[in-house]
Amino acid sequence: MHIVWLEQPICQEVQRVGGKVANLSRLAADYRVPPGFCLTTAAYGAWAEAGSGDWPAELVRELNASYAKMAERCEAESLQVAVRSSAIDEDGQSASFAGQYETYLNMIGAEAVIDAVTRCWASTRSEQVLEYRRQNDLPVDDVQIAVLVQQMVPADIAGVAFSANPVNKNRDEVVINTSWGLGESVVSGTVSPDTYVVSKSDLKVLEREIAEKEKMTVAHPDGTREVGVPRFMRGESTLDDAKAIEIAQLARVLEQQMGWPVDIECAYHEEILYLLQCRPITTLD
Amino acid sequence: MADPHAGRLEPRVIPVTPEFPVRWDVPEDEHMPWQFDPMHFPNPLPRWENELWCEMANKGMSPAFAGYEMPIRARGKIFNDYNYAAMFPVVPPEEMEAQGKKAEVALGAAMASMQERWEGEWLPEIKEHLAFWDACDLAALSPEQMLAQYDATLERTMRLWHLHFEIVVPAYAAMGLFDDLYKDLFEDQGAFSAIQLLGGFDNKTLETDRALWDLSRKATDKEVRQIVTTKASSQVVAALAGSAAGQALLSALNAYLADYGQRGPSLSVYEPSLIEDPSPMIKNLQDYIGQEGGDPRERLAAQAEERETGLAKAREQLAGYPEKVRGQFEFLLQAAQVGVVLSEDHGFWIDFQSTHRVRMVMVEVGRRLAEAGVVAEASDAFHLGMAEVRDALAALPEGDLQGLVAERKADIDRHRGVQPPMQLGTDYGPPPEDPLSRAFGKFFGTPPEPSNEEGNLNGHAGSPGKIQGTAKVVGALAEAEKLQQGDILVTGTTSPAWTPLFATAGAIVTDTGGILSHCAVVAREYRIPAVVGTGAATKRISDGQVLEVDGDNGTVRIVG
Repeated sequence: MHIVWLEQPICQEVQRVGGKVANLSRLAADYRVPPGFCLTTAAYGAWAEAGSGDWPAELVRELNASYAKMAERCEAESLQVAVRSSAIDEDGQSASFAGQYETYLNMIGAEAVIDAVTRCWASTRSEQVLEYRRQNDLPVDDVQIAVLVQQMVPADIAGVAFSANPVNKNRDEVVINTSWGLGESVVSGTVSPDTYVVSKSDLKVLEREIAEKEKMTVAHPDGTREVGVPRFMRGESTLDDAKAIEIAQLARVLEQQMGWPVDIECAYHEEILYLLQCRPITTLD
Repeated sequence: MADPHAGRLEPRVIPVTPEFPVRWDVPEDEHMPWQFDPMHFPNPLPRWENELWCEMANKGMSPAFAGYEMPIRARGKIFNDYNYAAMFPVVPPEEMEAQGKKAEVALGAAMASMQERWEGEWLPEIKEHLAFWDACDLAALSPEQMLAQYDATLERTMRLWHLHFEIVVPAYAAMGLFDDLYKDLFEDQGAFSAIQLLGGFDNKTLETDRALWDLSRKATDKEVRQIVTTKASSQVVAALAGSAAGQALLSALNAYLADYGQRGPSLSVYEPSLIEDPSPMIKNLQDYIGQEGGDPRERLAAQAEERETGLAKAREQLAGYPEKVRGQFEFLLQAAQVGVVLSEDHGFWIDFQSTHRVRMVMVEVGRRLAEAGVVAEASDAFHLGMAEVRDALAALPEGDLQGLVAERKADIDRHRGVQPPMQLGTDYGPPPEDPLSRAFGKFFGTPPEPSNEEGNLNGHAGSPGKIQGTAKVVGALAEAEKLQQGDILVTGTTSPAWTPLFATAGAIVTDTGGILSHCAVVAREYRIPAVVGTGAATKRISDGQVLEVDGDNGTVRIVG
């Protein structure tokens, strides 16, 4: 099985798809998760085995067909996708791997996807990743990796939410960080986002801290681009209370379902909230 | 939100100089920030006209500001026959920001409905006022009726100026905000890329000009062309009247004046309208007859095409941006596109059509006063104040104000020679850094950076392009005779009646105005370079000097 779809049960097998994708797959049926498919560890194995850096012809055919099928499902002429790596031991309870692997946003066309997947695979050998693995006592040989290809949500507002407060460890507080545009600026920390604290028990907004958001990441024909936020919306709150509560509610339900405090990535597009990532909070203890 | 008052200086009372003496008849007035407006009122004005523009601030601007919840009001005041206006806050400093927010909301709503209000509300009301004046046979009015007509004229003109500011405040705010947003989104694209997206729409100024162009195309007969192109502009009408071949063009000319001649060569109630004295526009007609290409319709079409190309490019670049950005871009684009048309059309209907009718009432008042010997000639009535005119009308046939008029005229002559300071009273520092202040700065212009090179002048980029040409300094439209094809028109400011000169000039340089000023708008429509708001071009440049005008960078170089 080289390519599996998020909604297939087999996509919940961590050893094939990595923790990140397995978690998303568990949620794909019940939540608004953008459609996607995963190139499994077996696909990586077939590529690595060939050793030349080229793709086996069969895998190229399979990828092309999957991309075409997803475009059809999304009713998109030129489907924009995000390509993200998902290490097999990533998103375990002990290490978050946040930001350790590559992400390619706004890829259009099967050729661009093949290129991005290849770079994800190659990144397993990057010094940055190897160092992180050494520090976290993870094996540095025989790294297994899967790659998720998912419809990209051209986010109006995006961010992260924690179903427990990672700073004061308060388990009744959902902490939300959001900013304008794609979530990359929030995740990578290049923008100071707005912060909202919502009480988990009664879903009341307890705190709002509106930041002067100077940069945002937007989709661009070459991928993404970090641009200045126009003056009129720099100091504007990204979320109204209704949206903050909607995100908090999502984090609360996900925590119940997963059985552990969650760290989620989410995005609004045309007023609809999408769930992009869900992993355990690793820093509560 | 940044504190709009941060970094502002302590208020400073501006010292009065002996050259421009000021007596503070109302002590509080010394604490007001009086501002000279050389773009609209560069010269000392006859009393009646001066009071009219003061009342325009008091009863036109102020209620419009109030209607949009703006925290400021305006007042006009006369100093040594020059017109000054002050904009002053009416809420305490700590409430400024909250009131500013309310104004933003009110102006946002106004920007969204400008087109609708123009068609359904503003223009019909304007036309109703014009019809009121047109329905009146002034010469036939009894003395009582004349007095009533005078009172009604003042009331209606103030109502029209209220409408004027109700229209221009959101119109210029929309253009300014759009320009701000565009520059936030697309840095380093030059001064004009935002403005280009507002170009290529028809308006009354262009329509007026097109009608003159079409009139010039009617001068096909050889003898007629001979008359129009060789006679002095003041003699053309009489020469046409005396020629059998000239009758057709003369009647077309009169039809043009009936439709478009109800305006002065500048914003003035004192100067004769073109329908009374068409010579300033005859010069334009002469230039047009000599031109082969240059159909204004082609220019407009080219501008519209550039606009659509630029717009498609901007939208493509914004496709991946958050909806809030795209939404605001489309909202302000739409509002600014309406605003740019209204920024000309309001002027056609209010500044010119209505002012012409007010002038006609005053001309009749003057005729009656002169007939009774109260003043020596009809135009002397403009040297009386508004209340003085009313009193004089009521006292007819008694009265003698000839001495007063003579004094006032002598005052004006004396004051013409003095340089009015830009500010009087109290200086509160530069205006606060907020979107509305920026928008008005783009209209009036802000003081240019002084040039550090001898022979160079800095201004604002008004219209793109770089060109060399011979300078012609034109103080009034009547002096435009000397402007030859390709010359650089150097002037204090331009008003819509000057528009056809833009087809003759190679470039424009002005003392006043910003990128959204009338002059800059028209120069872009005519696709000639313009540098506006240089502050001193008419003083530093003399006729015959060779200039290099760089409209993209807003600089003028005196080459020789």
